[in-house]
Amino acid sequence: MDRDNTLNFLNVEEIGKWARFLDTEKTMWERMRIKKRTVVHLGGALAVYIAIMAIFAVIL
Amino acid sequence: MELIVYIIVLAFFFELMDSSAGMGFGTGLTPLLLLMGYEPLQVVPILLISEAVTGFTAGIFHHEFENVDFSFSKKMSTEMRITLMITAFGCFAIFFSVILTYFALKIPTDMVKTYVAILVLAMGLIAILRFKKTSSVYRPKLLFGFAALAGFNKGIGGGGYGPVVMLGQLLSGIYEKSATAIVSLAEGMVSILGFASFLLISTYGVSIDYVLLPSIFTGGFIAAIISPYMVRVVPNNFWKICIPIYALCIGVFTLSNVYL
Repeated sequence: MDRDNTLNFLNVEEIGKWARFLDTEKTMWERMRIKKRTVVHLGGALAVYIAIMAIFAVIL
Repeated sequence: MELIVYIIVLAFFFELMDSSAGMGFGTGLTPLLLLMGYEPLQVVPILLISEAVTGFTAGIFHHEFENVDFSFSKKMSTEMRITLMITAFGCFAIFFSVILTYFALKIPTDMVKTYVAILVLAMGLIAILRFKKTSSVYRPKLLFGFAALAGFNKGIGGGGYGPVVMLGQLLSGIYEKSATAIVSLAEGMVSILGFASFLLISTYGVSIDYVLLPSIFTGGFIAAIISPYMVRVVPNNFWKICIPIYALCIGVFTLSNVYL
């Protein structure tokens, strides 16, 4: 069996490819920009927080 | 339900560091809260619930901010596989510690904590020394070994799972930003099992006090969203030096808790 295939999860190039790309290709200012999709997800996180706190208010 | 401001601030700070440097939430916050006079059953299970939620939240937002690729829809990503491997060792650690407790096997806590603190200090120093290395080779067997070592340490009651796994990833050649994300998600998954074991104990008459939960959860949740963004924006070279230095602080803090 090919060793590279057995340890496929060990492909160096694969690990951290997104972060490496952002670090090398984008400036800090560009990395600070937030996508619209992320704003929606942040709204979702806020909804989850409120829901969990409401549950705590009821049961604690 | 009561929200305690200074607990929110403490939880926020330690989770901010935990989700950006991969360590410190349990190791730093637990002794502080115990020093403030809270009982272990008011602290440990609550930190586990909070860490479960904040670990998943940080993991999701690390993926969102592209510090890591946790996708598993078509083919499971490399980072996700590493996360699951680290989680498996963490789960084994909890199983092992339950067995030790069941058979009432007591290992001297001070000795174990000293050993873990020295290990973290040594790993932190090595990580600082390799700062100037621009590229590193990924060594999977080493990572496997560090994950097993972290699980073993946690299992015998020495803690330090986050620091050992985090520094182990760096020494195995994993990119700092992705290593942070991997630890956050793995800790979240392991904490679920940790809390489940506490729930199991509570069925035998041990009562858990949830008074700190809303405050710790509030501080931790906010930090779990902010820190992945911070990791994205700040250059990797900063994390390369910040993570080992923070690990040294954690090691010194653990030693001072044992001997002072």
